[in-house]
Amino acid sequence: MHYIQVNDLSFHYGEEAVLDDISFCIDPGEFVMLTGENGAAKTTLLRNVLGLLTPTTGHVTISDKNYKGKKISIGYVPQQVAAFNAGFPTTVLELVQSGRYPKGRWFKRLDERDHEHVQRALKSVGMWESRHKKIGELSGGQKQRISLARVFATDPDLFILDEPTTGMDEESRQKFYTLLKHNTEVHHKAVLMVTHESYELRPYADKHIHLVRKEDSPWRCFSMDLCNAPSKRQS
Amino acid sequence: MEMFFYGFMQRAIQASVLISLVAPILGLFLILRRQSLLADTLSHVSLTGVALGMMLNVNPTWTNLLVVILISLLLEWIRNVYHSYSEISIAVLMSGGMAFALFIMGMNDSMTADLNTFLFGSIVTISPLQVKFLYVLTIGIVLCYIIFKRPMYVLTFDEETAHTTGLPVRLMSILFNIITGITIAIIMPIVGSLLVSAILILPAAIAMRLSKSFNGVILFAMGIALIGMLGGLYISYDLGTPSGATIVLLLLSVFAIVLIGEKINQFLIEHNRAND
Repeated sequence: MHYIQVNDLSFHYGEEAVLDDISFCIDPGEFVMLTGENGAAKTTLLRNVLGLLTPTTGHVTISDKNYKGKKISIGYVPQQVAAFNAGFPTTVLELVQSGRYPKGRWFKRLDERDHEHVQRALKSVGMWESRHKKIGELSGGQKQRISLARVFATDPDLFILDEPTTGMDEESRQKFYTLLKHNTEVHHKAVLMVTHESYELRPYADKHIHLVRKEDSPWRCFSMDLCNAPSKRQS
Repeated sequence: MEMFFYGFMQRAIQASVLISLVAPILGLFLILRRQSLLADTLSHVSLTGVALGMMLNVNPTWTNLLVVILISLLLEWIRNVYHSYSEISIAVLMSGGMAFALFIMGMNDSMTADLNTFLFGSIVTISPLQVKFLYVLTIGIVLCYIIFKRPMYVLTFDEETAHTTGLPVRLMSILFNIITGITIAIIMPIVGSLLVSAILILPAAIAMRLSKSFNGVILFAMGIALIGMLGGLYISYDLGTPSGATIVLLLLSVFAIVLIGEKINQFLIEHNRAND
């Protein structure tokens, strides 16, 4: 079973072709990194995968069920600098707790298990002590971390992450990759992650999708160069 | 004390309390969705609904509700067409609503006086039927808030993330606009088209400076709205000033006090830090 299947996807902004001939699939337990130069339409590809944009041709299928046969859940972290709603009147704890709502908690009280998930998520990114702070009081790096905590609190089957390590130091990045790898190997989660740190992430990734410019296109159009990364971490 | 014995004042007090419960809930979501001017737009468009009702000899509340619901749908459509410049929908519909109202009024001069009631409103002339409308509206909105608080929180924080969690983003946005429109159509004759957005927005805007948490902001905003509505009502009775304007001025005073208090507090913290 594939969590994500992309077939012959192309995407145009008006007349201008941006993505062409994109096909790949992501299975449970796979860690996939997506790279490309600045402006290589990596975020556009993610937004097509998520259904936020509609492909011009081809199609994207996201499985309804996870590998256990239950409803699949998706955790998405957009590029933070642009997306974070810093003026929103909410505490760190409230925001991370909202990550539990899609787990059948839209209309139910959070139980002990939900609170454990939230606590673990906040501790995993080192933000437990700041849980009562207003999100507007946080630094850029802290905002990034609570966005990740929110996704970890959701405990999704499929992580879709757009440059989630921007602003993190190297030690934090390595911890973060290890945590994601643990999730794929032990809990059969799937990860699709846009990154500029391909040299760092390569040892963790099972698959590498690299977007390269199509020389024969009159537009600044990108296609994929799929190369398989080592499946085991080379430590 | 004698003011409490008059039937019109009893209705005005009930209306004040009910509006104080409804306004902060809608106001906070309007601010956070960057739609603070939506209330202004819908209140201007409401005038078209009122003018239409008068022209057709139908109860203006019904034509108003119909027009406001239609415009709420149109607003969401224009907001999507101009995704990055969603305020265009506000400008287009605000001027369009006013233009239609003036055009219809121009065809019948006798409407002008009646329309003034809707422009400026008066909480003390509220009818028993309007109070009943307000009770139904308040119960509906408070129930919606209790039931849909979490989906609305996620939607308001970030629509794209909300989409990936499976929430029906478009439908929720449309329903929110319709509920806002219905609220404005019902509140407008009470507080006036020109002041309705201030009453929706100011309590939430003030409360955002006072509380860190989402629930805290809603509760603070309700308290501030109560102070503004009941205090404004009392002052307007005492001084014989227009009720809507007095309420808005009182809320603006609270706004100014909170901002000044914040600055003084900041200054004292920095001063103490420098001394340490």
